[in-house]
Amino acid sequence: MKRFTLLASMAVALVGLAVVGGLWVSPAGAQRPYEGQTIRAVVNAEYVKYSLSLIEKDLYDKLGVKIETEVIPLDAFVPKTLLEFNSGASPWDLVMFGPSNMPDYGRHFEPLDPWIEKLKLEFYMDDIADVYKKLMLRWAGKIVSMPYDGDVHIMFWNKTAFERADNKKKFKAKYGYDLAPPKTWRQWDDQSEFFNGWGWDGSDRKLFGAGASYKPSASGFSYHWWRARFFAYGGQYFDANMKPLINTAAALRALEEMVKTMPYYPPGVLLFESEEPKTMLIKGEVPLLYSWTSTGKRVGNPAESLIIGKAGFGLVPGAEIDGKLVHRPSMTPGRAMAVSKYSKKKEVTMKVLEFISLPDQSLKIVMDPKTIMDPWRVTHFRSEKFRKSFPGADEYLDAIEKTFPHVVPDPVIPGADEYQRKLSFEITEALARRKAPKDALETAFGEWEKITDRRGRDKQKAAWGEKLAEMKALGIEYHPDWAAKAK
Amino acid sequence: MAIAIERSRVSARRRNRYRARRWIGHALTYLGLAAALFFFLGPFFWIVTTSLKGNEDFFAYPPAWIPTPPSLAHYAALFTRSSGARYFTNSMVISSLSMLAALAVSLPTAYSIARWRFGGGFLSVLLLVLRMLPAIALIIPIYIMYKMFGLTNSYLGLVIIYTVVYIPFAVWLMVGFIRDFPIEIEEAAMIDGCSRLRALVQVVVPIIAPGLAVVALFAFIATWNEFLFAVVLTGIETKTMMVLVTSFTSGGTDAFYGEASASVVLGVLPAFAIAFILQRYLVKGLALGGTKG
Amino acid sequence: MQIGAFALKRKQWEPFAFASPSLVLIALVIVFPLVYAFYLSLQNFDLSVGPEYEYVGGKNYVEAVFQDQRFLGSVWNTAIIIAPSLAIELLLGLGLALLLGRVIRGRPIITALLAIPAMVSPVMGGMAWRMLFGVKYGAINNLGRQLGILDVYFDWFGSSFISIVAVVLVEIWHNTPFMMLVLLAGLQSIPQELYDSAKVDGATAWQSFWSITLPLLKFTMAVGVMIRLIDLTKLFGLIFILTFGGPGGATETVAFNTYLVGFKDFRMSYASALSYVIVGGVLVLTLAFLWVQRLREARAG
Repeated sequence: MKRFTLLASMAVALVGLAVVGGLWVSPAGAQRPYEGQTIRAVVNAEYVKYSLSLIEKDLYDKLGVKIETEVIPLDAFVPKTLLEFNSGASPWDLVMFGPSNMPDYGRHFEPLDPWIEKLKLEFYMDDIADVYKKLMLRWAGKIVSMPYDGDVHIMFWNKTAFERADNKKKFKAKYGYDLAPPKTWRQWDDQSEFFNGWGWDGSDRKLFGAGASYKPSASGFSYHWWRARFFAYGGQYFDANMKPLINTAAALRALEEMVKTMPYYPPGVLLFESEEPKTMLIKGEVPLLYSWTSTGKRVGNPAESLIIGKAGFGLVPGAEIDGKLVHRPSMTPGRAMAVSKYSKKKEVTMKVLEFISLPDQSLKIVMDPKTIMDPWRVTHFRSEKFRKSFPGADEYLDAIEKTFPHVVPDPVIPGADEYQRKLSFEITEALARRKAPKDALETAFGEWEKITDRRGRDKQKAAWGEKLAEMKALGIEYHPDWAAKAK
Repeated sequence: MAIAIERSRVSARRRNRYRARRWIGHALTYLGLAAALFFFLGPFFWIVTTSLKGNEDFFAYPPAWIPTPPSLAHYAALFTRSSGARYFTNSMVISSLSMLAALAVSLPTAYSIARWRFGGGFLSVLLLVLRMLPAIALIIPIYIMYKMFGLTNSYLGLVIIYTVVYIPFAVWLMVGFIRDFPIEIEEAAMIDGCSRLRALVQVVVPIIAPGLAVVALFAFIATWNEFLFAVVLTGIETKTMMVLVTSFTSGGTDAFYGEASASVVLGVLPAFAIAFILQRYLVKGLALGGTKG
Repeated sequence: MQIGAFALKRKQWEPFAFASPSLVLIALVIVFPLVYAFYLSLQNFDLSVGPEYEYVGGKNYVEAVFQDQRFLGSVWNTAIIIAPSLAIELLLGLGLALLLGRVIRGRPIITALLAIPAMVSPVMGGMAWRMLFGVKYGAINNLGRQLGILDVYFDWFGSSFISIVAVVLVEIWHNTPFMMLVLLAGLQSIPQELYDSAKVDGATAWQSFWSITLPLLKFTMAVGVMIRLIDLTKLFGLIFILTFGGPGGATETVAFNTYLVGFKDFRMSYASALSYVIVGGVLVLTLAFLWVQRLREARAG
């Protein structure tokens, strides 16, 4: 009897072990076509690396592939990667890049179409939001990349600040109109002045007027903030002859307003990159911020946000021209993923690109607040899961879609990174009061001319001509008279 | 008689005043040094405690100067998510190899100068001038050359440039040691049939070994701390600790405070270790600028 | 002796053989690149435009010295960082060396502890201070608020002036120990008898400082200052991590600006020209310093 029990329990144990062991070795093993392969990706921030880590388990289960990600900090990213590519090689297979730099990067990427045919890849192109389809896919007529992060600017405000009866009364008394989320830059400036320096949330803390990112790093944060005003006042990057328009009346008015309102922004703003003002917003220290849409996810993140359900989302302020409101939110820079032409693992990388672009995988990435990646597929905006992920999430996603018709893209021409960097540097020089606004813009003008000369004026003019026409089709042109008229 | 008593009373008072002044002098001296220690070591104390803090402690106000309870979570994150172990190893390997290579190459040169006045004054001046050379003058041609030969993102590339850049200083220090070494002992060895090289290695080196160790340790620190060449010439596999720390500046240091402070702690460990080992040699070695590349 | 001379003469090639490894390395890795860089500085090699380039003579140098506002601004920045840093490092270093000289017990350990900031990398020190300067969670602002000195956040990089102050502060923290050690070495070489005989003659501590210590330290101080001066012109890592040249271009040093030109704008030729302008400037500075030293020595007789 005893021996039988012993044998029986041993048998059960063995069978159990076999089952567990079999499961352990993963049942999908037989179906993993690229088992054991590793591809190298390059990205420009830790949080992008983190975003890739969200899908790595599913990626491994489905394809057997691992991604080794190198992070090159924001400031060095474009120069370092372009330097590698321009020397005819690259150690990376999967390349993240900013679509505004497509003219400089495009020729190093492997076109997608032949591979779509060969491997029967499915990228669900129709599911990509229009603005990103136009900006993030093509170079020289061929599709070379897929969107990864859809960046536009929208406005966020703290409802408590705007809804407290006490605040409303004080504001009306001082400024003569009702307190409501700003629709024009004049209102924004009035409100940032109003809210600065006291506890508009009912506490006795010293809070600040508004948030912004004024550091000129990477392709320049401060310049993105400036250009929302610049374009609303009728500005444009260049005219048809490649003459920069960044020292015109519209430019000057925009910069002078920013310099004048510096005192209403938090200390440290001159070194703020994207995340610091967002942190201040979600901790209830600034009532107003216009910034990237990833802010919304942080607003709704219970782990760190103090304003869940108390935040509003809307269109970036504009200017009133002849009774009509003109909004010009920035669409910048975004991120796209491409396959390097010099990669020795193109097939695997194409499959990986397909995988990370899948609607459900990309949804995972754009929903997580720590990734800073933003929605870019139509299904992202309509996803019930996303729309219910935090109170106000549906308003947030709707606000993004409402912004699309108004967005202003970056100057997508060769040297985009350098043009933007030099301009942003001068803008911050003016904000830091190291130069008068007029001098800063004149210097920027000079720098832009130098860049154009170095790269070949005719070549630049041709490239710009296309973009000028595209922007005109979107309703964006230079209006010299707006700067004075705008209210 | 009276005068004698007067004098002794006067000198007693003077002695008391002198003793009091001496006591105040001592107190002030130690006070000054304590203030200096607070200023110079305070930042390290704060960085170490920050690296052990959890979120509630870091973001707390009033500030929590001592973390309770301390946690090694940030170090763990540094070693897993940010591949801290790999970069620490890189720094270790590169600095060790550079240190050994610099010693190996500089010693014979120093011998040449010390014993035979090789190159006359010209060589010494050249070496002095090379020490003054800013790395920025070298980085551009070196970068272009390294790209051509595939030496970027490699241990070899960095070791070569670090070794050569440190030679002038190593030679300068070693010339002093060798000059102090009595030539008769070498000559005795050579009479016994040794070649000069063997005499150098088997006789001289063991005796000046402590001096060589000092030079070696300073070379290690100088290469460990080097930044410009590292940031331009390394890639994902060969990044050093110095380059690693730069990846924590985006997003504001508040976001990555844990890993940033942990990486600083690791990055200054060699300095602390070597400072303690070389206490008595510090004045001579550092004063001559030994820890600068 | 005769045998020694015989042994010396026997192998003429030996000195050269011993020195050759390092000479070859120096020739390949330092001299050749320097010549190549000079050659490049006369072309217009610009990687952002393409791999081809052509000869342009001294155009880059003319642009650098007469037209490049940003570079000239960085020269100014470097100068206003160097001046106060040097002065305060000298004074503070001297003070600390004197204090250390009075301590007998525990001197090695205290010296070692105080020396540590000079032995860490400027990048590590810079990162530590960057966090100390943190607007909301930095130790300095928090301490200030706790002590009641500050009432709301203080931005250490909010204006040109403050950020230069911050850079100078970290510089002083980083390198005063070096000056202290140099001066300590100099102090220790002054014979004690001089002080003893001065005391017998009734000199106060202050008097013996002025008439014995200072004069005999002059040479050491000059050496220390010159080494620091040359090192300060190379200021790069600290700026990279502490301010990245900001706000705007307020803390861009010459080395940092050259790095940006070479590795952000890809203008390799222009950056080479800039680095030669810097080398030239440092050379002039060094020669000027030595000349002034010689003058003062001659005058002192």
